[in-house]
Amino acid sequence: MKTVFINCSPKKRFCASAYFLFLQRLFIGGEHVTETLRTPADHERILRQLEGAQAVVFALPLYVDAVPSHVLRFLQVMETRCRETGLRVYCIANNGFIEGRQNEPLMQIFENFCARAGLFWGGGVGIGGGVMLNVTRIVFLVQVAQLALISALSAVRSGVVFPRDAWISFGENTALLLFFNLGVLYYLARMGRKIAKGAFSSKKYTRILIPSFVFILFADVFFFIVSLFQGGLFRGWLSRKRYEDENAQ
Amino acid sequence: MKVILYDVGPEYKDMIERRCDRAFAADGRFAPCQGCFGCWTKHPAECFMKDSLHRVCRLIGEADELVIVTKNLYGGCSAEVKNVLDRSIGTSTPLSVYRGGQMHHTLRYGKHELWKVIVYGDVTEAERETFRLLARRNAINDGYRRAEVVFLADLAELEGQL
Repeated sequence: MKTVFINCSPKKRFCASAYFLFLQRLFIGGEHVTETLRTPADHERILRQLEGAQAVVFALPLYVDAVPSHVLRFLQVMETRCRETGLRVYCIANNGFIEGRQNEPLMQIFENFCARAGLFWGGGVGIGGGVMLNVTRIVFLVQVAQLALISALSAVRSGVVFPRDAWISFGENTALLLFFNLGVLYYLARMGRKIAKGAFSSKKYTRILIPSFVFILFADVFFFIVSLFQGGLFRGWLSRKRYEDENAQ
Repeated sequence: MKVILYDVGPEYKDMIERRCDRAFAADGRFAPCQGCFGCWTKHPAECFMKDSLHRVCRLIGEADELVIVTKNLYGGCSAEVKNVLDRSIGTSTPLSVYRGGQMHHTLRYGKHELWKVIVYGDVTEAERETFRLLARRNAINDGYRRAEVVFLADLAELEGQL
């Protein structure tokens, strides 16, 4: 079975959609192809991959409660080119809010697309807190690097290759990161089994497993720090900006 | 202020402009959002791409009444209209609050009155339901007190709905 994974994030690096596709691939056997969809120049290449595929998994961010415009343009082309080919369509949507359920309109749009194109709607997973979940993989990689450094220093200084305290700390932190991702892992594993069987998976919603008020606090601090470094904080960060300004310049 | 965002052809331009304070044609001659959040964190309410959508979020933000005229595309706005909306997230700020029982961003321009979507083209019953849900969600997200969706059987009905 050939499955095409399409990363629809417009970002080139560190996008949450790529992370969720990485996790989804862990649960599906057979032939895999991963494509990125950013511009119309990507359309033809992806459509050629879809010709021999049985399933396609879109991973995309939620934009203004729905599907990003560059993905809509691809769906319009796909509706014509893949009409009634028996292709099964699955979707992994993520948003920057904490509630995965905010992806519901996006899921319905994909379902309506499948109805129009005569394709099999396989269902999807809607994920809340996608950006923060993506950060957990970066934190994990930092922890691995930190553990390797401490272990190397320990080996050189005292001949102990596996310093106990460092490994316990690494284990605890990894378990915590894994916990944050548990809902996502469960539903992606579930959908992976359905994709492998060629079955319907229905729509499921999950999120990063932390309380929403903690998430909002972290999100606000994150944007404050980014805005501080990028300068937006000093350029009328929260103020009203008048449209007429453009004509005045 | 009443703002109309539309994707119908230039033959409707004059009629639409007579019916509002400002009109914006979603003609597709602009780039899609790159998801950089620069309109929040680097140059508030302004996109780094210097096309016709460079400061469109300010126009939409100032609207008390936003009317969106769009062709149906799978129960959502056309790609051209959606492109404009995607590039308009600077109407909100990066900070978050609870609104309607869920997390949303705080509003740069405060509360608005009416989010109205006028849909033309062939629409299935499932797509109508999606449009209604989407309008409700958009209204909450962007701080509109009311959401309304109208389905046109024919574009000749458009003027009466504006």
